[in-house]
Amino acid sequence: MAQIRTPARSQGARDASDAHIGSAARVRGRIQGDGDLVVEGHVEGNVTLRGDLTIAEGATVASETVTAHAVHIAGTLEGNLTASGPVHFAAGARVRGDVQGNTVAIDDGAHFSGRLECEFELPPELGGASQGEARARASARR
Amino acid sequence: MASTVISAGITIEGEIATDEDIVVAGTLRGKLSAKESVTIEHGATVEADVAGGSLTVAGALTGNVTANERVDLQAGARVIGNVKAARVTIADGAQFKGNVDMDV
Repeated sequence: MAQIRTPARSQGARDASDAHIGSAARVRGRIQGDGDLVVEGHVEGNVTLRGDLTIAEGATVASETVTAHAVHIAGTLEGNLTASGPVHFAAGARVRGDVQGNTVAIDDGAHFSGRLECEFELPPELGGASQGEARARASARR
Repeated sequence: MASTVISAGITIEGEIATDEDIVVAGTLRGKLSAKESVTIEHGATVEADVAGGSLTVAGALTGNVTANERVDLQAGARVIGNVKAARVTIADGAQFKGNVDMDV
């Protein structure tokens, strides 16, 4: 998921979907923003995004809470994750913490230990105009 | 190509350290160190001490700056702090308040 871009010095304010923490970079502190973020390096601290978060292969994020829209993890996440969109753990991902998401997909080869919590609308044929909730205590190891 | 980009709309409160280069177009409060070039773009707000190989500023920077090679303050830059580098340029249209030390 490496993204290539030019710095474009005098471009001024660019759109907020560009943030990128390179593999040689280490961030310690709080990150928040409106756009997307790709982490290839190391982050220690809470992350709050309106956009999507990608934790690339080889990247690590250690934090109390991570909040974003769609979340794609191929690296390591330690901490609780709250996503308003879909969550995807790719093969090679290591995740430790509680995960709350819209939909959660765990690929073969991903490692996850924690609690999964998904909230969704039950389809009408299952009698659900009301909101259903599925909780799975998972300590999945593959 | 910049390896690390803090885009507009992103705020980081804390410390960033990288062995490569970095572009800041958003907001950073804390501390920033990079082995290669640091670019603070127009519209960026940085309240941090900055250490880098070279530094180019077109945005707002409050903090002390040390660069191994050079510091370039471009037109539109607003810098408050001390600058320490062997080569320093301040373009027409840049605002600067602080000390310059070229005895590195």
